[in-house]
Amino acid sequence: MPLRILVVDDEPNILATLAPLLRSRGYDVTTAMNGRGALEAVERDNPDLIVLDLGLPDMDGVDVCRLVRDGRATPIIVLSARGAEDDKVRALDSGADDYVTKPFGVEELLARVRVALRRTDVTPAQSGPIVLGSLVIDRERFRLVRDGEEVRLTPKEFELLIFLAQHPGRVLTHRAILKAIWGPHAVDQPEHLRVLIGSLRKKIERDPSSPRYILTEPWVGYRFADEPA
Amino acid sequence: MISRDALVLIAGLAVVAAATAVLRMFLAVSPTTVALALLLVVLATATLSRLWVAIVVSIVAMLVLNFFFLPPVGTFTIADPENWVALFAFLIVAVIASQLSAAARDREREAVSRRNEVTRLFDLSRDVLLTETAGGLEALTRHVSRRFDLAKVAVCLPADEGWEMHQGGEEPVVIEEADLERTLASTRGVLEFDAHARAYSGYTSVMSASGESISLIPLRHGTKAIGVLAAVAPGVDLGTLDAVAGVAAIAIERVQFLREREAAAIVRQKADLASMLLASLSHDLRTPLTAIRVAVENLRQDSLETDARREQVRVALLELDRLTRLFQDILDMARIDAQGIVAENQWVSPADIVDAATAYVRHALEGRTVRVEATSDADVEVDPRLVSAALAHLLENAAQYSARDQPIGVAARAGASGFEVSVTDKGPGLDPGELDHLFERFYRGRLARQASFGTGMGLAITRGLLAAAGGRVWAENVPGAGARFTIAVPCPTRAAAGVE
Repeated sequence: MPLRILVVDDEPNILATLAPLLRSRGYDVTTAMNGRGALEAVERDNPDLIVLDLGLPDMDGVDVCRLVRDGRATPIIVLSARGAEDDKVRALDSGADDYVTKPFGVEELLARVRVALRRTDVTPAQSGPIVLGSLVIDRERFRLVRDGEEVRLTPKEFELLIFLAQHPGRVLTHRAILKAIWGPHAVDQPEHLRVLIGSLRKKIERDPSSPRYILTEPWVGYRFADEPA
Repeated sequence: MISRDALVLIAGLAVVAAATAVLRMFLAVSPTTVALALLLVVLATATLSRLWVAIVVSIVAMLVLNFFFLPPVGTFTIADPENWVALFAFLIVAVIASQLSAAARDREREAVSRRNEVTRLFDLSRDVLLTETAGGLEALTRHVSRRFDLAKVAVCLPADEGWEMHQGGEEPVVIEEADLERTLASTRGVLEFDAHARAYSGYTSVMSASGESISLIPLRHGTKAIGVLAAVAPGVDLGTLDAVAGVAAIAIERVQFLREREAAAIVRQKADLASMLLASLSHDLRTPLTAIRVAVENLRQDSLETDARREQVRVALLELDRLTRLFQDILDMARIDAQGIVAENQWVSPADIVDAATAYVRHALEGRTVRVEATSDADVEVDPRLVSAALAHLLENAAQYSARDQPIGVAARAGASGFEVSVTDKGPGLDPGELDHLFERFYRGRLARQASFGTGMGLAITRGLLAAAGGRVWAENVPGAGARFTIAVPCPTRAAAGVE
């Protein structure tokens, strides 16, 4: 049975092009043109993925994210035409999994769709080593092996690496990472995160200035590479 | 015209004569009584008039006393040296009394002139507070001229090159720039107050070519001289001019401050506009670009069926149209902003303008009924390009804001005052609250915001184009219908050629 994607956008011509695109790649597509219609379609069709434009006429796209996330784990990819990072961050913090900025390339969108859909059918294992490219993360023994050699990490660095590696391919906002590593009181201190990311990159990246594992999403957060280049 | 002094003189002499005549009738009257009576007359004269009048009257009184009353009566001989004393007494009384009264009168005159000066200065400062920036300095100089009755007065400010002269009187003050330079230079590093002249140092006066004396008073901001007040003011004293210069300097400061504030507001407005433009463009550009990009990538798929292929082509073309229109709007807006639009008037018929406008927005009017009512058989002299472009925006709006099955009404006519055309739709009409904002840039009607069409520039462009054409546009609700937008361009009209 094909995976079902709900596309929500108020521009008829975006729907008229995105729907055929996704259908041609074998997905089952339904569409909605406003927030209310989107919520109804979620109830009715139970889609596997939602592609959601943030600028909807009847409600804030961020609210749609929150309402969908309330009780459902359906991944959400946000389309933003605003170019405003604030909106993306708000959407991601409200439960969206990823974002694509208009105008986007078709392959970029399709890649994000694949990553988001993969996450739903493989719940990450809670134990056992994580293998990513040349990295082997042994969660039980707090060990990291890179190219067959052990790399020493501080406890915080290890915690951050595990958190990122558990969400491969997904954008994690500064706020979400800060909350996971330091706790809710630290969410307004992004400088902690910058420093820690910097030291972790030095240990796991071959070239920290052009990272392969920990990718920067400017002004939004970080993404742990799904398929390291 | 007999002067007041002459009148007092005649009156004094008459009283002396009358007193003499009366006193002569009583032979028993002693010379002392006569002397005292005449002294009263001298005193009265001295109080009422000037010194010379008093002296003339006192000499006449003394002669009369001598001739008629002092022995030997009937001659001017003074036998008794005592009578010399009487004569001197007359003179001294006359001099002292007239000095005292003259001093009192001077003080009064000065008080009155001070009061006038204060009143005028007060009026002038009130004028200054009401001065707006537009032509502020000319207005200021005019106020100075009016309040102080100066036919020639100018505020001279040093400019980048030479001097900026703001003339206020009926005739211009003609003055060498070198004199102004010298006046300004003399104030540097010096600030003294001349208590006698009631003026700060630095004032001077020069002779004009026509032989008038022009007073030059430095205008000071604090201690720094910022310009020169030049006035031909024979009747106004230096202290007053200095006070006027003080008020003028405050006014100049105020005008400059207002100008700076206006400039800052314009800069801020431009920044606001720029950020609105960015936000608007961000949406308006990205959406069609996204649709076109995805549509074209879809077309690359060989597996796409013919119908689907056509649909993708249609979407891409529609969005390209939208981009083109947006691009045109941005260009028009930029031209309006740069004031690069010049009207080129020619004789056209109102119907031609409507035809051109409908052709221009054919895509938006596709499938719509447009009822054109061009009742006039007169031609108008307008810029048809500008007016039809403006009308096209109104037609496009009418199409966007009303249902597809509703007709759009266009009424064009050449009236006595020029060309007028209105567009009426059967949409929901205008919210009373939005009437004020309709023509603002990036303002979108409620419907447009919901359905996210339009650039929010159409009506602003309409207004800009019409302003260039010398016309205007306004909006109203039509009872029982929707909104009506009317364009009016004042212009000459004439009976259409070739009608006969």
